[in-house]
Amino acid sequence: MQLQYFLLIAAALFCIGVYGLVTSRNAVRVLMSIELMLNAVNLNLMAFSNYLDPQEIKGQMFTIFVITIAAAEAAVGLAIVLAIYRNRDTVDMEQFNLLKW
Amino acid sequence: MAHPLLQSIWLIPCYALLGAILSALWFPGITRRTGPRPSGYLNGLMSFASFLHAAFALPATWNQPPQEILIPWLDVAGLNLTIPIEISTLSVGAIVLVTGINLLAQTYAFGYMEMDWGWARFFSLLAFFEAGMTALVLCNSLFFSYFILEILTLATYLLVGVWFNQSLVVTGARDAFLTKRLGDLFLLMGVVALLPLAGTWDFNELAEWAKTAQVDPKVITLVGLALIAGPMGKCAQFPLHLWLDEAMEGPVPASILRNSVVVATGAWVLFKLEPVLALSPTVLGVTIFIGAVSAIGGSLIAIAQIDIKRTQSYLVTAYMGLVFIAVGTQQPDAALLLVLSHALASALLIMGSGAVVWNSITQDVTQLGGLWSRRPVSGLSFLIGLAGLVAFPPLGGFWALLKITTGIWETQPWLVGVVLLVNAFAAFGVTRVFCLVFKGESKQMAQRSPEIHYWMALPMIVLMGFILHLPLIMQALNLLPSWAEVNTDLALLLIWSTVTGIAASAIVYLNKNIAKPVVLPWKGVQDLLAYDFYTPNLYRSTVVFLVALVSQITSWFDKYLVDGGLNLFGVLTLISGRNLRYSNSGQSQFYMLTILFGIALISVLLSLPFLSQVSISLFPQSATDIVMNVQR
Repeated sequence: MQLQYFLLIAAALFCIGVYGLVTSRNAVRVLMSIELMLNAVNLNLMAFSNYLDPQEIKGQMFTIFVITIAAAEAAVGLAIVLAIYRNRDTVDMEQFNLLKW
Repeated sequence: MAHPLLQSIWLIPCYALLGAILSALWFPGITRRTGPRPSGYLNGLMSFASFLHAAFALPATWNQPPQEILIPWLDVAGLNLTIPIEISTLSVGAIVLVTGINLLAQTYAFGYMEMDWGWARFFSLLAFFEAGMTALVLCNSLFFSYFILEILTLATYLLVGVWFNQSLVVTGARDAFLTKRLGDLFLLMGVVALLPLAGTWDFNELAEWAKTAQVDPKVITLVGLALIAGPMGKCAQFPLHLWLDEAMEGPVPASILRNSVVVATGAWVLFKLEPVLALSPTVLGVTIFIGAVSAIGGSLIAIAQIDIKRTQSYLVTAYMGLVFIAVGTQQPDAALLLVLSHALASALLIMGSGAVVWNSITQDVTQLGGLWSRRPVSGLSFLIGLAGLVAFPPLGGFWALLKITTGIWETQPWLVGVVLLVNAFAAFGVTRVFCLVFKGESKQMAQRSPEIHYWMALPMIVLMGFILHLPLIMQALNLLPSWAEVNTDLALLLIWSTVTGIAASAIVYLNKNIAKPVVLPWKGVQDLLAYDFYTPNLYRSTVVFLVALVSQITSWFDKYLVDGGLNLFGVLTLISGRNLRYSNSGQSQFYMLTILFGIALISVLLSLPFLSQVSISLFPQSATDIVMNVQR
């Protein structure tokens, strides 16, 4: 088990998150993709903390903060999605292109 | 010099100028009820006053050296412009001539402009001319002469364009202005280039300088050519002669002035510049050449015209050509004498033409005829004008031409031939007009043509008297050669040429066996002369064409390349704004992608210095290696 593998996994996860972020038509799935990206970040933080900073494990502290903030952000995000859904009766991202040029 | 009239001679241009300004009071827009006639009478009085002033001042100049009055005008760093006024027998005599002819022309205009409402404008311009011409003969500086010539060019434009609702008047005034302006501009080049060479513009000092001047022959040739270009335009010399023909569209009294004195303003400057021109033999040669071509061409064209005014205007070109010849052969005195005799004779001829036109309406000589029995005064004006113009002893023209030919007989005999030819052609031309208008069968337009009334007859008769008395005046002034000096061969030659011209013309036009209108066997030549060597076409195909072409190209360049280049920036900005706005797609996911791309790009750019040092191995030994690699 080496640091690189963790980093590669995290990068792959991040990329999958990015792919989901820009291609999903469902707004909730976009939020889920954001969660994936945040988790990839968490994986990075944990790996670095484990391999490079095993004494003070600052990375693990960062991870805890990231998880909490991500929870709050997901809550606000879902609230926004709900608010839009109430108005427009859909969660299709393609329908939310009112603010163009 | 103490004579008060001489001291105040500078007032003479001011009289006329005052008349010109006061005439404005009778513009139809200002004096709406009582008509414009007082403006004419006022200007007549002003001319009379200046004529009297000059005439009484003239005896005080007898046997006196020329005096100068200096009027400071402008003194700026390194350049002191002072107006020198020369008071000599010559300048005062010229003023007498100018104001006298003006007085006669204005009196004539009282009659001729009877049915016209534009007196105020017309007379104020005539007075403006009088002011300009008297100022020109008084002013003894090349710079201020140029000044006045330009003002006169503007005045010509306005005076030719008096009846501006006629389209030919508008084009004639345009050509008169532009052609003379062109000559004046070349003159300006010469004037400006002369100052560094001579250091002065004063004619007397220029003459002094020219006596001992050592200048590069090429430079003085170019300067001299520029200096004759101004008088060339003013005197209507070839190839700048078309304007005088078209200026005949203006009123007859203005033509009197123009033909007798205004064109002579150019000759006056040429006369004054003679010492400078004499510095370069090339310039003298060119002057003679232009004069000879204009003299022969003008007198030939005059024969082929059917418009009575144009038969006179081309003779003016021809006689001014003789003046050019006289100056080119360094006989300024003979040139002045010719200007004097020509001014009187030409004024009388134009007055006669105007008198015929006034009562017979048409100007076409082929539609007139048989007026002699009913119009003796007009007819006599032609005969006496002819006698005064050509070499007809003992009148003025004879002595002037004799003086010129005597001067060139020894040096350039072929020029004597030119003078004789021109004299014969002029005699032929004027006799032709006389025969067509006054002799022969009366045509429809001339069947009921009464003689003119006193306002027009009076100046004609007075002028006839002047012309007939000119030999006596010349004798009193010691201008005539003594009998011992007269070259009798030349005198006989001149008389013969006159007699030949008159006789040939009389035979052709009084002989009923020769079909009228006379058609030459060579139709092309006749048309060539009748259409003035097709000069309008020549102008249109050369100078006018070139300038128009260049203007159009420049205009196109400005419109499309300069403006277009600037507009292109605007249009590009507009287009880019229009098109780049589509990057705001409204898709929030697209924005996210953009943010991610931006972050990725920035991080790659920021880490470029480090990336170049990172050696990537898929399986490094430990994590510390990576750190070490990065640190290295």
